[in-house]
Amino acid sequence: MKRLFAVFLAFAAISCGQTKPAPIVEGRSPAEDCWTNRKHGQADAAKSCFDKLTRSADAYLRAEGFWGLGQFNDANGAFKEALARNDKSIRTRVRWGRFFLERYNTNDAGKLFEEALELDEKNAPALLGAALVGAEGFDAKAVEFADKAIASDPKLVEAQELKAHLALEDMNTAKAVEEADKAIAMSEDALDAMAIRATVELLADRSPQPWLDRMAKVNPKYSEGYARIAHHLVINRRYEDGIDYYRKAIVMDPANDAARSELGVNLMRIGQEAEARTLLEKAYENGWRDNPTVNTLRLMDSYKNFVTIEGTKSIVKLHKKEADLLKLYIPAELERAIATYEKKYKITLSGKVQVEVYPDHEDFAVRTMGMPGLGALGVTFGNVVAMDSPSGRPPAQFHWASTMWHELSHVFVLGATKHRVPRWFTEGLAVHEETAAAPDWGDRMSPPIIEAVHAKKLLPIAELDRGFIRPNYPNQVIVSYFQGGKICDYINERWGYQKLLDMMNDFAGNHPTVEVIERQLKMKPEEFDTAFLAWLDKNVGAQVNAFADWQKRMKALNGVVKDGGETDVIVTEAEALAKLFPDYVEKGSPYEIAANAYEKKGDKVKARKTLEAWANQGGREPGLIRKLADLQDEAGMQKEAAASLERLNMIYPVHDGAMHVHLGQLYTKLGNSRGAIREYEAVLAENPIDGATAHYELAKAYLGVGERGKAESNLVDALESAPGFKPAQKLLLEMNSGKKENP
Amino acid sequence: MRKLVLLAGLLPVLAHADTFYLTIAGLGGEADYEQRFQAQAKEIEKLVGASGKVTTLLGAEAKKARIEEAATEIAGKAQASDTFVLTLIGHGTFDTNTYKFNIPGPDITAAELAAVCNKIPATKQLVVNMTSASGASLAALQKPRRVVITATKSGTEKNATVFGRYWVEALRDPGADADKNESVSALEAFRYAERKTTEFYDTQKRLATEHAVIEDTGKGEGVKAPSAANGQGIAASSLAVLRMGAVQQAASDPAKRKLIAQREDLEEQIDKLKYEKAAIPSDQYRKQLQSLLLQLAKVQEELDK
Repeated sequence: MKRLFAVFLAFAAISCGQTKPAPIVEGRSPAEDCWTNRKHGQADAAKSCFDKLTRSADAYLRAEGFWGLGQFNDANGAFKEALARNDKSIRTRVRWGRFFLERYNTNDAGKLFEEALELDEKNAPALLGAALVGAEGFDAKAVEFADKAIASDPKLVEAQELKAHLALEDMNTAKAVEEADKAIAMSEDALDAMAIRATVELLADRSPQPWLDRMAKVNPKYSEGYARIAHHLVINRRYEDGIDYYRKAIVMDPANDAARSELGVNLMRIGQEAEARTLLEKAYENGWRDNPTVNTLRLMDSYKNFVTIEGTKSIVKLHKKEADLLKLYIPAELERAIATYEKKYKITLSGKVQVEVYPDHEDFAVRTMGMPGLGALGVTFGNVVAMDSPSGRPPAQFHWASTMWHELSHVFVLGATKHRVPRWFTEGLAVHEETAAAPDWGDRMSPPIIEAVHAKKLLPIAELDRGFIRPNYPNQVIVSYFQGGKICDYINERWGYQKLLDMMNDFAGNHPTVEVIERQLKMKPEEFDTAFLAWLDKNVGAQVNAFADWQKRMKALNGVVKDGGETDVIVTEAEALAKLFPDYVEKGSPYEIAANAYEKKGDKVKARKTLEAWANQGGREPGLIRKLADLQDEAGMQKEAAASLERLNMIYPVHDGAMHVHLGQLYTKLGNSRGAIREYEAVLAENPIDGATAHYELAKAYLGVGERGKAESNLVDALESAPGFKPAQKLLLEMNSGKKENP
Repeated sequence: MRKLVLLAGLLPVLAHADTFYLTIAGLGGEADYEQRFQAQAKEIEKLVGASGKVTTLLGAEAKKARIEEAATEIAGKAQASDTFVLTLIGHGTFDTNTYKFNIPGPDITAAELAAVCNKIPATKQLVVNMTSASGASLAALQKPRRVVITATKSGTEKNATVFGRYWVEALRDPGADADKNESVSALEAFRYAERKTTEFYDTQKRLATEHAVIEDTGKGEGVKAPSAANGQGIAASSLAVLRMGAVQQAASDPAKRKLIAQREDLEEQIDKLKYEKAAIPSDQYRKQLQSLLLQLAKVQEELDK
């Protein structure tokens, strides 16, 4: 067999093993011709080329051949054999890594690229491979590796194309165009770069046709290019448009199961489940079994465990095991939020909003798979919202109502702007709406945010989108949410809420942030940044600057508490620390320490007032909220106690029968029979140990609203489990004697 | 036989027999556990004090010799018609062969604990073993008419348990009296504590390291959910761990006796109807049930005059 390549070995002088041997240089592989045929749409030539390789004596070439023919198990086996025969081969490692990457095994791919780089840290294809692995996870390292690959081999077109792709993901259109053009200048068949250029046009609402035509000249059926366009459209939340391009990708190449799977996942996102399932099942049957495909199919299978509750403007999907409880709270709050937003945004939604509530966080995570920087608690795809159930998280970890209002804001804003709104604005407005709904809702300023503000890590408004996609430091995503929210708070405060609506409507014209800032706020983005930072400093500067001191003093205070220190000392210091960093309302906060100390002193009034301040500041710990309600009830403040527990219903209404009983009792005392009914229904929904009392109280509440039939039915239920339950017996007798209309 | 079984869950104890409680808080090891175990023992003493005669052994007192001595004292006073409740709080160990309850001095094995219980002539007995690895003690302790509750399902569940906290809560919370007969049965207390323990791990999103079980036939495996299907729960439902409110005394007034007999008859009819619920159309069931409940309420109203 004619040798098609020569292997050159160069050895550096080795002195006592202190220098690595020079890397093996492996020449051009004949497999490259086969892949080029494929890329140019010459399917028959490619097939014949790959087929020939499968008969090679060289295991590596056989691997490439099998891979090209779609015989993946054989390909994997041949790669393994190839590496066993020549374990110094960088090319085999890199190509095997690329194979794994294509077959969605980023872990093994990453390891192979690492090994290759250990052999030769400047190997451009290995650096490119590492960049591609990073790109899968929206890791900042992807950019770093892509740059290194280009530095190592300035003619590596694929690395150049990757740079364009990454820039576009970062919403840096100008850079994306620049990098794509470099790739196109390098090579006539830089098809992925052309796809990037086409995407840029689409995102700007211009025709991509010239670029699609250029792609077609090289390969009239370049399915991967259309899938790449679709990917970017989806990243930009242009789901319908992305779906359109995934469809085109499949038409071009019906064997493109990666695109088929993505099409299914995205149809699922906008609520088109039937077609989504068909596509995903087909991809699965064809052997495409990546995590999104498998997990989405599993999730769809689990939908038989969900019940659907339809309202006037909403559809709520709840898991059977908690539907009886959550249906008492979520649908009503959703309808209230929709009505509020329709007024605020001056928009009437065309269809119903669908909210899916997942008790299993892993199911929720399936909905967000492959989407960078999305909320960990809720996500919106057009009119479909997916979110964690309050039962899906430890108590106090998230505020379900606040999250729902946040996501619902996206429904309106994405709809109003036809998904053209920049990420920072819709997230910022959604964060703003949380505290607009109730000042104690929304997330507080946490230590990672304080550290970022202190270290001046906030991004200029013109670049804020990037903070959501490819974080440069841990926590940059949550810092960006915070910053977006504060920006909208600032605009609202200085220019009024209408200005936010004006900006939203301006974004609907697909205008970039810089333009909209200048047009609507009459200032350059840089001026805005200066003004905003000055405002932010006035608002939070004191807390930020005092944080280091606060941390030291909190540590000391905790020590004093642990050692059983003097209560007066504890109270004084705890109150001072609460003033220094009022946003810190987490477990073990200074508020909690002070309240406990006051209670120990027997000063329930001050304990209550401290907890009221904590709650108003946004405290969410259920145990503390219940304690507050108890103190308020004890002080004769039933209305306030009810309000405290009602607040808890918006945070963590699950696994707390005692709370619902208490709230039911309060509503009964306050003459709010409807409220009492809801709360005792909540008690029963959790299958309580003491069902008899719950049914009895519910019976009384129904009598309170004149619903005798339901009252009697509940009395019978109470007595069914406790026939000797005297208060229920008495009420039954009274109802049957005709005396009882209202308790 | 079935009549007796059906009545078991409904009737409060009419002929008042005594209940003897022996509560033992074993070695804590660390100060935190020591304090917790002793606090639970003292709380149980306070809660059941009015329901019977209580012996509590804590700290250095909880040695094997003293335990056996306490059992002998109880044996000298108890009658066959009485009830005996043994509660174990602390750490247990299991070495694949033998369960041991950690106490000062030599630990006491499950077989030795069974011997302690066997000494006592009270026919109705309850052993609540709230320790780690307590599931391994069940086989040695089980006996006909003895209810055995363990905080863990086997000896391999070796972590400290939270079941004890909720068992004590069951004795404190009137809500544990699910059938409102003014007493908390072993079954009611078990269901309460088991449920709360499960909820504890669920809400904290932690893997449950304990699974409480109950066995009251003397020959089965412990179960988490006693029912007619697994044949467990009948003895436990008629063993009162705690009595609240006034204990009902059999009346000497013939008119009252007649009413009590009527009440018992109605309760039996209700129980029978509930037992046959699945086989009756729902509307018919509700109608019949309501009628019986109304009659029962009228009889109770007369009794309370």
